[in-house]
Amino acid sequence: MNAAAGMAASLTRDWGVDQPLLLLLLALALLPWAATPFVRRGIASIRLVPDDVLSRLLGLGLRLAGSIAIAAIALGLAGLHQREQAITRQGTGAHLVLLLDRSSSMDNSFADRAPSGDQEAKSVVAKRLLVDFIGRRPRDRIGVAAFSTSPMPILPLTDHHDVVRAAINAIDRPGLAFTDVGRGLALALDSFADDANESSRAILLVSDGAALIDRRVQEALRDAVIRTPVHLYWLFLRSRGSKGIFDTPPPGEDTPQANPERHLHLFLQSLGVPYQAFEATSPQAVERAIAEIDRQETRPIAYVERVPRRDFAHTAFAVAAVAIAVLLAAKLGERALTRVTPHGQAGGGQANGGQAGAGRTGATPVRRAA
Amino acid sequence: MRAPPGTLRDWRFWLLGTALLALVAALFLPRLTLTREARDLLVVIDVTGSMNVRDYEVDGAPTARLAVAKRAARDLLAALPCQSRLGLGIFTERRSFLLFEPAEVCENYAAIDGALEGLDWRMAWEGDSHVARGVHAALAIAASLPADLVFLTDGQEAPPLAGGALPAFEGEPGKVAGVIVGVGSPNPSPIPKFDADGRETGFYAEQDVPQEDRSGPPPADAPSRAGWNPRNAPWGGEAATGTEHLSTLREGHLGNLAAQTGLGFAVLRDAGALVAVVDTNTRVRPVALRVDIAAIPAALALLCLTLLFTAGALVGRRPERLPA
Repeated sequence: MNAAAGMAASLTRDWGVDQPLLLLLLALALLPWAATPFVRRGIASIRLVPDDVLSRLLGLGLRLAGSIAIAAIALGLAGLHQREQAITRQGTGAHLVLLLDRSSSMDNSFADRAPSGDQEAKSVVAKRLLVDFIGRRPRDRIGVAAFSTSPMPILPLTDHHDVVRAAINAIDRPGLAFTDVGRGLALALDSFADDANESSRAILLVSDGAALIDRRVQEALRDAVIRTPVHLYWLFLRSRGSKGIFDTPPPGEDTPQANPERHLHLFLQSLGVPYQAFEATSPQAVERAIAEIDRQETRPIAYVERVPRRDFAHTAFAVAAVAIAVLLAAKLGERALTRVTPHGQAGGGQANGGQAGAGRTGATPVRRAA
Repeated sequence: MRAPPGTLRDWRFWLLGTALLALVAALFLPRLTLTREARDLLVVIDVTGSMNVRDYEVDGAPTARLAVAKRAARDLLAALPCQSRLGLGIFTERRSFLLFEPAEVCENYAAIDGALEGLDWRMAWEGDSHVARGVHAALAIAASLPADLVFLTDGQEAPPLAGGALPAFEGEPGKVAGVIVGVGSPNPSPIPKFDADGRETGFYAEQDVPQEDRSGPPPADAPSRAGWNPRNAPWGGEAATGTEHLSTLREGHLGNLAAQTGLGFAVLRDAGALVAVVDTNTRVRPVALRVDIAAIPAALALLCLTLLFTAGALVGRRPERLPA
């Protein structure tokens, strides 16, 4: 009983129909066991047609063909299909949250001017290269968050990259005033709350500046990375004239207020999770940095591959057509016991009409026909 | 093989033959191309403080306008036919901020639904709420996508419009189709107040919110106000009073704004009403849909077989007479 229930469960998990009510038509498949497409003929004596295995099998086969034809059409009408399958495979990739800076300075070029001519805005460069980047990583689960004056969750982790591309395409729209990296990071870490995959989480922070992180936010971030260990990448789009994250300023000037980028770098280093910063001063450098991240974020993950739904209605109709063709061939091979007279068919005998079905009567020609 | 003439005169043969022909037709019939009504929408949701007002009632509990607006947008997402596209933006301050461009709704359903669910008043970057400018900005975004605009807001301007006049609209009215959806009830309700950590600490009082926009030139009636002085007190000598701390759905204001920009206007009575509003106010993009019509001839085949076996069962019960 349990086995039967299990089989039914696995059957309904993998297979489905669009119109379950139409499955009631399957009851019609019993009809061929009450009648045949052949003319019922009486014969004078049962001894004329001795019982033989071949005829029995043929009779059974023809009834079965009728049943199969009706059942197949019913299944086809109900819309039999194999459900969309999600197959878990092992591959390389990552669960990645893109944390994008939407502050208005991203709308300037690397020379920190309004973009003109051959100079692209930083956000346009980031957009173009990020779209390429996710295009090369079809197996990643990607989420998107943005920050500016306030952090904004944009998309939860998803396998569908179309919508991720739509979110990246929006980053070259005019941005907002400030750069609140700290709360943005907290939000990105929060995106992993429902994510069970521990081995390959990564956050890619794309920004062109940083700001002081509130001490309370710093503590919250330290807590959060202990709870959700991640790999951190910071792609710093450095404009001309702004301070770098790797330069050590002269003593006395090394304060978080004067060098927020450098101190964000120091803070991220102190978090105790794998962290790498890339300082890009040109579109080419951004490209190299992204290629490097692409190379590093290839750890084995279980990813889900979707096998689309397959419709079997046409297969069912084809099966029914074959079954009917068999019946039709048998019908063409049907012969009356007596020669046909101008008045029509001669009747058969009275006896045994019920059981000596047409299948048996037509047995020999049917074999030839089929 | 030649069929005996008796077979050809038998109705059973013709029923079988029809069934087979119908099935062959079902297998080789080309798919019919129908058109379906898809839509490209940009949904912009107001996330300013007044959207936290709880003046809807859902299942007997007071519910915030933002929660109802989110529910309505998620219902709209579920109701859109495949190949429709939906993008999302938020409004606060004087701007509409695009979160993602329109993406196909069926393939990306879970992600878009998650994004709608994740909308929160904390995403607002400023306390101001210049709704009219927000709608103008959203129209510019929608025109560039292109998509039709669905703008959900309660219409409360903070600070109130100077002199009650709408800011000038620079775009071309009616160029972008869409609808402004008024969220809220016409009865004044207090606006919840939150502290820096996002905890609710009560409601805004009269002097907590600007009751009058005191930037720009003073209104024409200012000289008649008590304590007026052209240099020291151009708006009069007293603090402005008013009811801006109590929020209502500003139907009149939103109606004017809709008329100015050529958008439709409707009031959201409950979350489920948005689908019908969007249906009547946004443009349809016909998309080709390939429909399999194999079921029609297949049903005919099934009818033939059923007739054949039923009639066979009824007729066959009477054996033919013995040959003479």
